[in-house]
Amino acid sequence: MSEPIKVDIWSDVQCPWCFIGKRKFEEGVAQFGGEVEVEYHSFELAPETPVDFDGTPVDYLSDRKGISRGQAEEMIGRVTGIAKSVGLDYDYDHIHQTNTVKAHELLHYAKSKGRQLEMKERLLEAYFLNGEHVGRIPDLADIAAEIGLDREDVVRALASEEFLADVKADVAQAAEYGINGVPFFVIDGKYGVSGAQEASAFANVLATVASEREAVQ
Amino acid sequence: MTDASPIPLLIVGDPTAAACVGDFCEIPDHHEQAVVNARLDDDNV
Repeated sequence: MSEPIKVDIWSDVQCPWCFIGKRKFEEGVAQFGGEVEVEYHSFELAPETPVDFDGTPVDYLSDRKGISRGQAEEMIGRVTGIAKSVGLDYDYDHIHQTNTVKAHELLHYAKSKGRQLEMKERLLEAYFLNGEHVGRIPDLADIAAEIGLDREDVVRALASEEFLADVKADVAQAAEYGINGVPFFVIDGKYGVSGAQEASAFANVLATVASEREAVQ
Repeated sequence: MTDASPIPLLIVGDPTAAACVGDFCEIPDHHEQAVVNARLDDDNV
């Protein structure tokens, strides 16, 4: 029996294309039908964002990017429509724009407990669907406890920055790969797939890797 | 000491797929069409 195909995914918790891309990737894996092992890696899109950013995503886009409020609302409306096309009901009226470094630390904590994939899904749901805060330690600890992690130990790990070095190592590795946007998928350590591709694109590259493995056996 | 160079990856897939770069998330034109198509499907047009 062959080894699962490793897929390393760089992603940020408040990246709308990362959640949409996750759904498309999952559909691609289903189309492929073979075994895949997924590991998420940290990528901070806006590391300078304050934890308690005082404003909405529209405020953020218009203040930071010089986009008019009307354009920002239009952009968000379009992303929401695209999310809906893959079954995700983004709730931008209740999103808390924040700094995601603690969420990334939590993802590494969860990985150390063998629960990273559940944690990733839960954090994306928290941010885009549920209007939960994913930047503050107590909120993150509550979310972690929901998937069965030890709340007190999560608070300890996040407060002591136990996994901050792992977050920074992921960011550094992304730079080594030349990754400047997310989601980004590294498949079998060889193929790079950028962005929220169609499911068939993921299925095709996974099938290519499987064929290459068969050819050398 | 050697110059740092990116680890080589073979880039595959649609080069225009939507991604977030920095704190900005672009919306490629073909995604707009996908949404229109989905709405048409929903409306049974």
